[in-house]
Amino acid sequence: MNHLPFEEWLLNNNRITLEQQRDLDLHLRTCAYCSALAETGKVLSTAKMVTPAPGFTMRFQARLAERKIAERRRKLWGAALFTLGGLVLLMWMIGPYLASFIASPATWISVVVGWLVFVGTTLFALIDAGAVILRMIPKFLPPFAWLVLLSTFAGVGLLWSVSIWRFVRAPQGV
Amino acid sequence: MTDENAWVLQAQQGNDDAFTQLVEAYQKPVYNLCYRMLGEPETAEDAAQETFLRAYQNLHRYDSSRSFGTWILSIAAHYCIDRLRKKKFSVFSMDAEDEDGTPFEVADPASPDPEAESVKKEDRNRLHLLLKDLDATDRAAVIMRYWYDYSEVEIAQSLKLTVSAVKSRLHRSRKALAGMWQEEKSRAHPERRSRESLAF
Repeated sequence: MNHLPFEEWLLNNNRITLEQQRDLDLHLRTCAYCSALAETGKVLSTAKMVTPAPGFTMRFQARLAERKIAERRRKLWGAALFTLGGLVLLMWMIGPYLASFIASPATWISVVVGWLVFVGTTLFALIDAGAVILRMIPKFLPPFAWLVLLSTFAGVGLLWSVSIWRFVRAPQGV
Repeated sequence: MTDENAWVLQAQQGNDDAFTQLVEAYQKPVYNLCYRMLGEPETAEDAAQETFLRAYQNLHRYDSSRSFGTWILSIAAHYCIDRLRKKKFSVFSMDAEDEDGTPFEVADPASPDPEAESVKKEDRNRLHLLLKDLDATDRAAVIMRYWYDYSEVEIAQSLKLTVSAVKSRLHRSRKALAGMWQEEKSRAHPERRSRESLAF
């Protein structure tokens, strides 16, 4: 059986003329499928809402509180496991060194002192070299180059300060 | 600014009381959607609660240019679709609507014709049972269209579909429902079908 255009009218809830309504009624008397379509459409258009059992909001609040506690507990456990894992890893990595340090502390202390002395003397040497270079350079640089250099430093400094200020200032609005 | 917008804004700033107001306002539509999707009052309650929890956790993602109702119903629909896909419901109980005077259905106290009202209720229950045979997304589209009067555009936004896909899903579902309805009627009244005709 040809359901067109009746199927279209029923599916789209089209506005139809009185003549079309008569044709549709005639078609519905003979077509079980279109009748079912019309009937289901009618039932759907009168669909009713169902409501939850009383106390839904209170049950939600209880559930939310439970979920928050569970979340907090999960975070706490996560942090504890992370810290413990980190400590175990650290011990595993420095364990051999720690054992040898405990076994012979004098050797280790002399190594550390030697290293500190090396760092100190290197630093002093670098400062001396820097001072010499600073004394020498002004004789080779013209005043104009100094001007450019100082302006560049000032510009970079300003840019840096503005960037820091923009990143750290409190957010305005949401 | 409407009350709803104010509640959303306050809830986004961490005010739990404001979110409770939203739960109070939307519990019925959300529960109804879950019930129509899942079919069982207990499962629907659980799904509705989970919907609100998800909304609470993702409130910072809510775009205030959209309607809060559409947003939360979209969460509910997606949750129910996922749930239906994960678990095939073997039993589709209609307990809550089978008995007269059920506490959950909003009855029409001013009905002038109780018999006609009873037939209507029976038809609604039958149709609700038939909904379970539709694909989960098709079911969500039908529910949003007929229970919430959503436009095809709103359904498309909520279900992340194109408008033409929504149209074709709605048509397919309506045809499938009509087919099942027809089948069920002829099974229930085989002798009536041959003699009787429907008049609208």
